[in-house]
Amino acid sequence: MTTPVVKERPSLEQGVPGEGPAPRKPRAPKPSLTPYLLLLPALVGMLLFIYGPALLSFIGSFFVIPLSKGPWKFAGLDNYRSVLSDPLIQQAAWNTLVYATATIIPSMVLGLLLALLMERLGRGSWLAKTALILPMTANMVAMAVVFKWIFALQGGLANQTLAVVGLAPVNWLGDAETSLPAVILVGLWRATSLCTLLFMAGLTTIPGSIHEATAVEGIRGFAKLRTVTLPMLKPTVVFVAVLSITGAAQVFEIVNVMTKGGPLGSSETIMTATQRVGFEYFRVGEASAMSFTLIAILLAVGIIGRRRSPKEAS
Amino acid sequence: MIRLYKPLGLVLGAVAVILSLFPFYWMLRTAVAPADGNALTGLSLIPAELDLSNFARAWDHANLGSAMLNGITVTLGILLLQLLTCIPAAYALARFRFRGAGVLLGLVLACLLIPSQATLIPTFVGLNLLGLGDTRIGLVLPFVTSAIGIFMLRQQMLSIPDAIMEAARTDGLGPLRTLVSVVVPMSAPSIAAFSMLSIFTHWNDYLWPLLVARSPEIMTPPLTLAIFQNADTGFDYPALSAAAAIVTAPVIILFLLAQRHFVRGMAGPEVAG
Repeated sequence: MTTPVVKERPSLEQGVPGEGPAPRKPRAPKPSLTPYLLLLPALVGMLLFIYGPALLSFIGSFFVIPLSKGPWKFAGLDNYRSVLSDPLIQQAAWNTLVYATATIIPSMVLGLLLALLMERLGRGSWLAKTALILPMTANMVAMAVVFKWIFALQGGLANQTLAVVGLAPVNWLGDAETSLPAVILVGLWRATSLCTLLFMAGLTTIPGSIHEATAVEGIRGFAKLRTVTLPMLKPTVVFVAVLSITGAAQVFEIVNVMTKGGPLGSSETIMTATQRVGFEYFRVGEASAMSFTLIAILLAVGIIGRRRSPKEAS
Repeated sequence: MIRLYKPLGLVLGAVAVILSLFPFYWMLRTAVAPADGNALTGLSLIPAELDLSNFARAWDHANLGSAMLNGITVTLGILLLQLLTCIPAAYALARFRFRGAGVLLGLVLACLLIPSQATLIPTFVGLNLLGLGDTRIGLVLPFVTSAIGIFMLRQQMLSIPDAIMEAARTDGLGPLRTLVSVVVPMSAPSIAAFSMLSIFTHWNDYLWPLLVARSPEIMTPPLTLAIFQNADTGFDYPALSAAAAIVTAPVIILFLLAQRHFVRGMAGPEVAG
């Protein structure tokens, strides 16, 4: 697309734009290469860097892969067995589940409430909108550094605030009881911002005529939310849910910077564990088995999500 | 009813705004506090003394000069490649009728469900085999295209009125010329929003540079910041906060400048339809 040169070929005419999207009706008599050529670079990129590696990962998960170059040794389900029975990885899976539950639901509810609120406030709310979206643009390593300081045992803001109230300091990040909750708070801070943005964007797509119609009908407040707004937002809700789930399943920076997964694995997540097993212990086959177990779970969630909203793909 | 939830809503909004901004504020407050002394650990909203030398110390210790340049190179390189691959792909999926269109669209959407850890290890091993481990190309190449980009742009392109495409055709414009002079200008909001999303994502990316970049010369800002906070200077919170502020600043400034386009473009014209 960098070159504006037009290649006038009769065979291109078939695919000429303007016929509108109607991929369901294959009544094209002369098939054109143009759409395939336009898609080619993206498809090659996806095959090389997403589908190809994912497939290799899947195959590799059944092998013991030597660190240096050497033949792979078929291991059947051994990698899966050792991953699923490893107590540290079980802990990581459980922590990820806790993290996901504790961040996704509150962030979606808060995000929707805040987006509705911003919509009610109208044009004057741009400053508040900017403030609410800011966390999702921030560098998570940088923010994790800041939160690590806020939760620091000595001199950290959290403990200083406790001291003012007369409470003993808490070793937030160094105590197995509080490390995961601290990580969750940071994740919630981030996720709420993303949800707010996506819901704000989704709300702008509801046509003004609908708002007028509901006003004429006298539908307002919770009744409007339940019978008009939420049903119209359904595609957005599904989209936000999918992004939230894959995002939570992959939480990494916050944990890596704030706690390194510790103490004693109390804040280890699937992603930090995968990175450890694959890139620190170099047990590549096992790391692949972990990845693939997670993908299977995510794909299952995705398929359920798609099934519940068949309109989304259109 | 309205009388009850309006003030409640305003309180919720105000609290949310304060909580959203507070970490940024605390980062800046720490960054300007003297490293030794009580001004750092006090609870006052502004430290009693100011000390801007933290920024210079952060710049040196976190190797931020070269890291910022690398970050800009890598982020813009990825953005350029993604626009070059996503715009034509979105155009094909939005405005052409062809065999396999549904399957190909499904292939794009399914990418959104594949988490990055599934692809990390083979991509890493493959790039190393090609001799691209520990290179800037290795930092850029895996992100050559973006499923979410194709999806966002396609939604926008679907909404271009058929009459306009028809006019382009009667004017004798071929598909490529139509793309460049009609479709791209008319998709500007989504292109802008996606560009910002891409810049945020890849400026902030940590995991991939952590795996690929070994030499300090090619490290990106989040990576040097993480190394700085792991080093024995790990308790120099003013310098760490200053480094965090420097790393965060470019995307925040970009966001503040183009905020309106971002929110509008994220919506796309067809999300609810």
